[in-house]
Amino acid sequence: MSLAEALEGKDYIIEEILTDDEELNAFLFSLGCYSGESITVVAKRKKNLTVSIKDARYNIDIQLASAIIVR
Amino acid sequence: MRIALTGNPNSGKTTLYNAITGKNERVGNWAGVTVDKKESPIKKSLYEAGEELVAVDLPGAYSMSPFTSEESVTSSYVKEDNPDVIINIVDGTNLSRSLFFTTQLLELGIPMVVALNKSDVNESKETIIDADTLSEKLGCPVIPTTSTTGEGHKELIAKAVELKGTSQKAPYIQGDVDLTDKAAVEAADRKRFDFVNAIVKDVETRKVLTKDKNFGDKLDNVLTNKWLGIPIFAVVMYLVFQISQAWVGPFIADTLVAWLESFQGWVGDKVGDASPLLYALLIDGVIGGVIAVIGFLPLVMVMYFLIALLEDCGYMSRVAVVLDPIFKKVGLSGKSVIPFVITIGCAVPGIMASRTIRNERERRATAMIAPFMPCGAKVPVIALFAGAFFDGAGWVSTVAYFVGILLIFLSALLVNKIAGYKARKSFFIIELPEYKAPSLLGAFKSMCSRGWAYIVKAATIILLCNTAVQIMQTFNWSFKEAASADESILASIAGPFAYILVPFVGVLSWELAAAAITGFIAKENVVGTLAVCFVGLDNLIDTEELAMMEGSGAEVAGVMAITKVAALAYMMFNLYSPPCFAAIGAMNSEMKSAKWIWGGIGLQLGVGFTVAYLVYTIGTLVTDAASLAAGPAIAGLVAIVIMVAIVIALINNTNKQLKKEYAISK
Repeated sequence: MSLAEALEGKDYIIEEILTDDEELNAFLFSLGCYSGESITVVAKRKKNLTVSIKDARYNIDIQLASAIIVR
Repeated sequence: MRIALTGNPNSGKTTLYNAITGKNERVGNWAGVTVDKKESPIKKSLYEAGEELVAVDLPGAYSMSPFTSEESVTSSYVKEDNPDVIINIVDGTNLSRSLFFTTQLLELGIPMVVALNKSDVNESKETIIDADTLSEKLGCPVIPTTSTTGEGHKELIAKAVELKGTSQKAPYIQGDVDLTDKAAVEAADRKRFDFVNAIVKDVETRKVLTKDKNFGDKLDNVLTNKWLGIPIFAVVMYLVFQISQAWVGPFIADTLVAWLESFQGWVGDKVGDASPLLYALLIDGVIGGVIAVIGFLPLVMVMYFLIALLEDCGYMSRVAVVLDPIFKKVGLSGKSVIPFVITIGCAVPGIMASRTIRNERERRATAMIAPFMPCGAKVPVIALFAGAFFDGAGWVSTVAYFVGILLIFLSALLVNKIAGYKARKSFFIIELPEYKAPSLLGAFKSMCSRGWAYIVKAATIILLCNTAVQIMQTFNWSFKEAASADESILASIAGPFAYILVPFVGVLSWELAAAAITGFIAKENVVGTLAVCFVGLDNLIDTEELAMMEGSGAEVAGVMAITKVAALAYMMFNLYSPPCFAAIGAMNSEMKSAKWIWGGIGLQLGVGFTVAYLVYTIGTLVTDAASLAAGPAIAGLVAIVIMVAIVIALINNTNKQLKKEYAISK
């Protein structure tokens, strides 16, 4: 499922990032957001969510959340 | 010897840089405050005599492969400019991400010291990092620091000096990777992260896990709440303006103006016996004009102070989150909000802040429309007109900012239509830094350095302009004293431009035209030039400044001989027409396209004229319809119709091209 359907307060493992935007993919990678890494949904709102990757917090919009496939 | 400061965004590089050099560069609690390289000698008190040390502050980066243009500054500097030593500032609260870049830097062979920063935050969270083991694993010295307090700075510099001339051994070597092979690069980067993760596991003991909900998350829930987020932001901004321009600012301004006046009087006494011409030139013209500008300094300084507090506490990223959905509707994103907010202080750094926006069209559009937000230099203009024509009413300033925001939205839409906005997927991601109590001392310093820049500007550019204006309006072309100012050099130069202003001020006034023109050099000039040009006005402005204006306001209005509606329209023309040359220069360097820069100036001129025309024409029709002269009103309307026609033609052209592109791509 995608991160957009993920539950608040739960840890997930990233499976895949669905984007053909190579730069974005590389950027997410440098933050530690790539397949196999864990990601936590700290807060979930209608249009955006707060996630914790490694030791930082990010706010991502729902479009990006739908592109991050987790399990 | 040059020492390069590198590290992730928001790890504290510029704070450290300011601390060790004594400079006052812009700092803020969000990722991407520094967008350009800066260098300065390090304070002598921090190291033993010897070779001079120069610190080079670089924009933050997450890795050696640049993502935005400011990140490429960093990687190309450390690769090509051969700094003697690198200080890598590592955010101690986020070791697991920071060390990725660290291990890349270590491969360069340049001697390196790691500054393990934010030690204070780690202490309060009881996160323990074993610096010795870390140093051993990385193969370079690791010094715990707190860049806000100065802890560890001396030691850091000493280590850097010690390392000069040595070479760095890398603890992790990527080896040969075909950089064109994406899969191979990713595989190598994964290995690097694995290496980093192993180190972190060994050296870090955490009591509080980052993924656990904390106080900041609760605050986020309120500040970025769907319903509360925008009203809270509106209240915060309202308070910034109200405190600086109505409550605290004018109070200080009164005192300052009293001092300045006694200075003016003192100089007046000294040259009292000289010719009346010199008296008029020096005392009323030059000094009067500068005082008119400096008198507004307290308002601007209080505003700088409050904005510095906002930038320091971590709220800016949250504002970007709150406004992202709205800005998406006009083809921008939340990232554009930060440039707009910084522009409230000054448009030049505001426009430069757009550099962190990755999408080129969004970046250019942001740089183009940011100046609609009235900047600090426009505060005196607003205050002058509010005071002179509207009894200092607070609503004038509120309206000025509100219209600015509205114009940002409308122009963003327009720019999208003209530039051809293709509905493509755009993703928004922004780091949410931890909240911190803003530093009062830091805000005070920032206020002083920006306030000082304002004074320097008043004492140089504005003084020079006022002098030129004063001379040009005193003499005629044969360099004899003009019989009346209407026959002066200034009147003949500004005269032709005055016709452009007629549709929205209702009278042909070369003085108003001259003020608008000098405003392009610096917006404060509008006030200075008006003070110089209108006989008698200078005394009114500087004698009672601001609070003043109950008494003299009507007189100022009388001297200018325009209606209240015209005054409002003229003020708006000055606020929303192209910004000063410095800001246009900044626009140019962010846009890097002649087409865009000229398009931008055209848009700003068109918007300024249209807004002023609408305010004047509609306002006059409502208040005193009989006084509206038909000729200028029609001329103005024709001008606007032509502009609209051009815009529609441009949009049609774009749509045709887009259609063609789509047809080909199918």
